[in-house]
Amino acid sequence: MRHLGILALAGFILLPLVQAILLSFMATLPTPAQGSIGLMNYRGVLEDPELRAAMVNSLVYVVLNVVLCITFGLPAAYALARYRFTGDRHFLLVILVFRVTPPVVLSLPIFILFSQFGLVNSPVGIALVHCLFNLPVAVWVLESFIRAVPREFDETAYLDGHSGPSFFFRHLIPQIAPGIGVAAFFCFIFSWVEVVFARILTVTGGKPITMAIQAMFSFQTDIGKVMAMTCLSLVPGVAMIWFVRNHLARGFTLRA
Amino acid sequence: MCGIDTPVPSLSLTHMRPHDNRAWFLVLPALALLGLVGALPLLAVINYGFHDIFSLQDVYWVGVQWFTDILQSDRFLASLGRSLLFSALALVVQVPLGIGIALLLLGYGKRAVWGLMLVALPLVVPWNMIPMFWLGLIDAKTGILGPGLAAIGFDWKFTGWHTWVLILVVDTWHWLGLVVVLAYAGLSAIPPAYMQAAAIDGASRWSAFRFIQLPKIAGALAIVFLLRFVDSFMIYTEAFAINAGGPSDATRFLTLELGEEIKGFSYGQAAARATLYFLIVLAVVWAFVAATREREG
Repeated sequence: MRHLGILALAGFILLPLVQAILLSFMATLPTPAQGSIGLMNYRGVLEDPELRAAMVNSLVYVVLNVVLCITFGLPAAYALARYRFTGDRHFLLVILVFRVTPPVVLSLPIFILFSQFGLVNSPVGIALVHCLFNLPVAVWVLESFIRAVPREFDETAYLDGHSGPSFFFRHLIPQIAPGIGVAAFFCFIFSWVEVVFARILTVTGGKPITMAIQAMFSFQTDIGKVMAMTCLSLVPGVAMIWFVRNHLARGFTLRA
Repeated sequence: MCGIDTPVPSLSLTHMRPHDNRAWFLVLPALALLGLVGALPLLAVINYGFHDIFSLQDVYWVGVQWFTDILQSDRFLASLGRSLLFSALALVVQVPLGIGIALLLLGYGKRAVWGLMLVALPLVVPWNMIPMFWLGLIDAKTGILGPGLAAIGFDWKFTGWHTWVLILVVDTWHWLGLVVVLAYAGLSAIPPAYMQAAAIDGASRWSAFRFIQLPKIAGALAIVFLLRFVDSFMIYTEAFAINAGGPSDATRFLTLELGEEIKGFSYGQAAARATLYFLIVLAVVWAFVAATREREG
């Protein structure tokens, strides 16, 4: 009974992926009929300079976004885990509100604001704007991990003469390394696949994978090539899931 | 599993945290970043909502005209109804299903990690490709499920409630993993002693869940509810790609109207509409936070 449930779940989750992987190995022009099978779609993707650039753009903005979220989120998480301060609950409320603000609500002013700073068509703009929903998640995840470290740990480090940045880098970060991995994982999954901000911020260039795929749809779409590109885009995500697999069970909760 | 990896129940250490307002220095960078990418655009969008915008140089004050227009239009109310219904369906299906799967996985001990990795897979698929995966799967000629679905008369293009089912299934496929991972995180953090005590007392499986596990994962479920509410309430990518609001407006959700206005360059109107959507989301967040604070005392 239990195993049947898991089997049904596996079928439900894997079926669309199997279909996509099958299509990615088929010649699908003019129609995805009984075409020949092979690696031509993957070759086509890798030989296309625009698609290669899109992969680089995506990697650049995601890495930058994760770095920004951890750098700005870690001190805030530490403050929340270790101290009470005037307005701490208001701060939690503010980050919650920004986490759930629908991107489509902010897309227009973000575009106008970022075009004044020259951040349109660049991965930097996307990395910045994705902090809107990822920084709160990073704060929640890191806070729960720091909370799990006993206070005495901090005090010992201070007695050893470590304070400020050297405490963070030498002591805290190694201690909560899994937490940083989990925070990076959640930032990654919300950012890598996002489309609303990515679309509005890349008009002519700097397109990430999602938008490059979008651009492959035309009057006569080579769906096999689209699927090949999509399957390649899954690789970093799957790798990410693999790296944090033993820490996935930490998640985050509503902090209010 | 040892040391930091062991899920630690959130001990009530709150009383041990000293009060120190210098902590603000650690919080300020994060707040400044959110101010730049969140608060500033939000103020701008509210401001635009009171203007008629022809171009950035050509802006006229119109007061609350857009707001009254939108609130009085039948289309808005119909779309609001559809979006609320869709959110309700998504939550009713996904939250219990996700908790159920998390409970199932809990029984597998260490091997549960494979289940978590499995359900997390759809989370890393580019959003705009998720509807394409499913349209490929149910394609009547070439999809794996296509011929079977066509045989039983599943017609998502022209039958309204079939489109609803399809969008709901696609949304569930996409987000079930998040519900499972967060619910599993909450459940696995409960010390085994609690469940053992319940078993000794002869508590049924259901009452052990209802009175021990459910209260303990309330915080995790609250964030799941909120995230799933806003994302399903503001569903766009899937709904638009699958049937563009059709057939005959059956799946015309709030975001599709906003998208049309932005594409039609009615920026003032779009901003007013965006402000309204934000206020709805804000109201729901507020209700949740109030409930959470009540519960935590």
